[in-house]
Amino acid sequence: MAGSASLYRRRAIKNALALGLGVIATLFGLFWLVWILGVTFIRGIDALKPALFTQMTPPPGADGGLANAFFGSMLMSLMALAIGAPIGVCAGTWLAEYARRTRLGGTIRFLNDILLSAPSIVLGLFVYTLVVAHTRQFSALAGALALALLVIPVVVRTTDEMLQLVPSTMREAALSLGVPQWKMVLQILLRASRAGIVTGILLALARISGETAPLLFTALNNQFWSADVTKPMASVPVVIFQFAMSPFESWHALAWAGAFVVTLFVLALSLISRFLLARSKVTHD
Amino acid sequence: MHATTTLPRPRDNGADLRSARDARHDRLFRYALMGCALLVLAALLGAAASTAWGGRLAFETFGFKFLWSEAWDAVNGDFGALVPIYGTVVTALIAMLIAVPVSFGIALFLTEVAPNWMRTPIAAAVELLAGIPSIIFGMWGLFVFAPFLAEHVEPWVNDHLGTIPGVGVLFQGPPLGIGMLTAGIVLAIMVIPYISSVMREVFLTVPTRLKESAYALGSTTWEVVWDVVLPYTRSAVIGGIFLGLGRALGETMAVTFVLGNAHQLSASLLMPSNSIASVIANEFTEAYTDLHRSALIALGFLLFLVTFVVLALAKLMLVRLARREGA
Amino acid sequence: MTDSAAVSTAHAVAAPAPDAPKIAVRNLDFFYKDFRALKGISLDIPTRQVTAIIGPSGCGKSTLLRVLNRIYAIYPKLQARGEVLLDGENILDPHYSLNRLRSKVGMVFQKPVPFPMSIHDNIAYGIRHHEKLGRAEMDARVEQALRQAALWDEVKDKLKQNALGLSGGQQQRLCIARAIALRPDVLLLDEPTSALDPIATGRIEQLIEELKRDYTIVIVTHNMQQAARCSDLTAFMYLGELVEFDRTETIFTRPAKRQTEDYITGRFG
Repeated sequence: MAGSASLYRRRAIKNALALGLGVIATLFGLFWLVWILGVTFIRGIDALKPALFTQMTPPPGADGGLANAFFGSMLMSLMALAIGAPIGVCAGTWLAEYARRTRLGGTIRFLNDILLSAPSIVLGLFVYTLVVAHTRQFSALAGALALALLVIPVVVRTTDEMLQLVPSTMREAALSLGVPQWKMVLQILLRASRAGIVTGILLALARISGETAPLLFTALNNQFWSADVTKPMASVPVVIFQFAMSPFESWHALAWAGAFVVTLFVLALSLISRFLLARSKVTHD
Repeated sequence: MHATTTLPRPRDNGADLRSARDARHDRLFRYALMGCALLVLAALLGAAASTAWGGRLAFETFGFKFLWSEAWDAVNGDFGALVPIYGTVVTALIAMLIAVPVSFGIALFLTEVAPNWMRTPIAAAVELLAGIPSIIFGMWGLFVFAPFLAEHVEPWVNDHLGTIPGVGVLFQGPPLGIGMLTAGIVLAIMVIPYISSVMREVFLTVPTRLKESAYALGSTTWEVVWDVVLPYTRSAVIGGIFLGLGRALGETMAVTFVLGNAHQLSASLLMPSNSIASVIANEFTEAYTDLHRSALIALGFLLFLVTFVVLALAKLMLVRLARREGA
Repeated sequence: MTDSAAVSTAHAVAAPAPDAPKIAVRNLDFFYKDFRALKGISLDIPTRQVTAIIGPSGCGKSTLLRVLNRIYAIYPKLQARGEVLLDGENILDPHYSLNRLRSKVGMVFQKPVPFPMSIHDNIAYGIRHHEKLGRAEMDARVEQALRQAALWDEVKDKLKQNALGLSGGQQQRLCIARAIALRPDVLLLDEPTSALDPIATGRIEQLIEELKRDYTIVIVTHNMQQAARCSDLTAFMYLGELVEFDRTETIFTRPAKRQTEDYITGRFG
């Protein structure tokens, strides 16, 4: 009797201990989130000034802004989306509509998931050997290509998933009107899963806006304003890297300001896409 | 009746022609889409092939010795991958040592402990961590976390853990702040959201009747998780851990900031080192000899190979649970 | 040849003798991989009548319906053997074009699936693929289809609104309107009311009654009362075979086969 009571107590204590550790682990995770975001916001807001968006990246020790870097990031991200999103939507559509249970489809879906988590720096090296080594010129175009390689797997996956959510009777209803499959896909299915696919593209944009590694040796960096896509171009993450690793206080401040803006942008994008995704899933049910 | 049967039907003549045209367009459309899908395949194979090709000079020059040579001498052109491999593996291991139990705790909390209204916001907050760009982790690590460690934690680690016989050697060294331990901790924070979200999702797939029958036998929550939930989801949990490991191995910027870019092999976790990704990030644009550049690309090839295997295993493990669920 | 003679010949072609079947199924087998889902089905579906197909679930009734417009062919590994003659032509012949087949045979599904576009565009979508119409003509066609589907009065003021905003019953009538907008000869209904409430079901059944003046209707239903209420002929299927096919009154009052009687009286299935 006493033995079973003590066994019961031991089990209860073990249970309480484990659950308590679960709470602590969660607090531990949230603790870093708060710390990192807090530091980024406080230091970033301190360094925020209008010149950030109007002046060019300064030489060491001087004051300036990040206007050329913002422009470069924006341009290269848009180019990456322009290249990657259509390819991703098409590939995802193929997986969902033409290769749902085929071996080739399964293989590509599998490899796409790996590409999704592959080290981005290797993709940078890939574009370097493919483009930069041949043209003997770092360029914004190469940078955009490297970023596009990050966009594609995200868009492929969301497109594939979203199209699979569309009920098969929608396809049958369209085809039974005599409409060919390509029209059905373009005019009905992609329209039905539009919100989800847009979300995927936004997620991809969020992912590439903070990416540094694939740009280091494709787009390189540029201290000046440049809109020439065949020449090196500055981007916010690469400038942050360069400035943060330097010994200059004024550069550090600019790096924090850049980090703040990038973080804000990325978090806003992921919140918006999360919201869109939740809404689009509701309408499908 | 009469009215409808005499309605004009002009379409009958062209219908067959249009069918042939539609079939042709369908074929074209399908091939175009398939071409895009094959691009995904090409990207992956291309990344492997181009880094293998770019690294061939290093592989030819050093042969297999490249894998275990400690040398990294740009002036005399002698390169080996041992130090970056060591740094990569050690930092990733530290990260997993911290991230796996913490992620498990978070998943446990979110699936079994937390009241319902708390679950979604907290899960979203943890996943927000995954959205923060890695360069932010790097800056925070370099400017905030490393000085904090150097001032408050590492002296204590030196004094207390450093004196333990045997393992003490891991914790001896100057309190620099940056080094393998710091990089490992930062990596852990970065992969926690990935591992915990996989764990949480697969824990939720455990059929309620299984859990309820265990509860009905008088099991505690912990016993249900440990004896029912975990065995049921084991392969997917391991898959999630491998997914995190794959991320940790390939992470570049955060590690580059806090690892210290030192080409040395040291037992102490407090010492700076290099990882494959950080060496490439630090040196690639400054590599002026073909051999140096080739050695860096060769490192990239190794990294790609290893992460590919780890991520493929992760994927296979995750698929196993999904398949059982489908059955 | 006089005008009146031309008219009368045209009339003869457009409305064949009532005893010639609209669709004649001959020795139809259907395979899913190696599984034989339909076994030597033969039946004649008469023009402008409602033919109901009933049977326990898994008996092949939906499969039979899905052969009649070859919609099964969008999935791999499915195969139909035998003949299905529509106005005397075999639609299973690969040379029989899908465009022709699907403009002659319309289909409505179990769950209403409006396309993600406006009510007007839902109807116009199919027409646009088959015919080039001006704006006014198209509007007239859309109105006519909606009127025939008894939906016009409810939606005439919101044609530009998204079709997803309609109620379930309205959505299903929209789907019927979408199918008849192509002016098919045959309308296939695959359990069209199983996702609807009794009132919406009643409206659809009433609609079927009206539509049979213009269309040959084949309806698959698991609801025997529905078959009894709105069909002229009933086919009873069991395990992939056609057990009995007769006038609906006959099937429900004096079935010839024991299996039919058992099913109708609720003794199995």
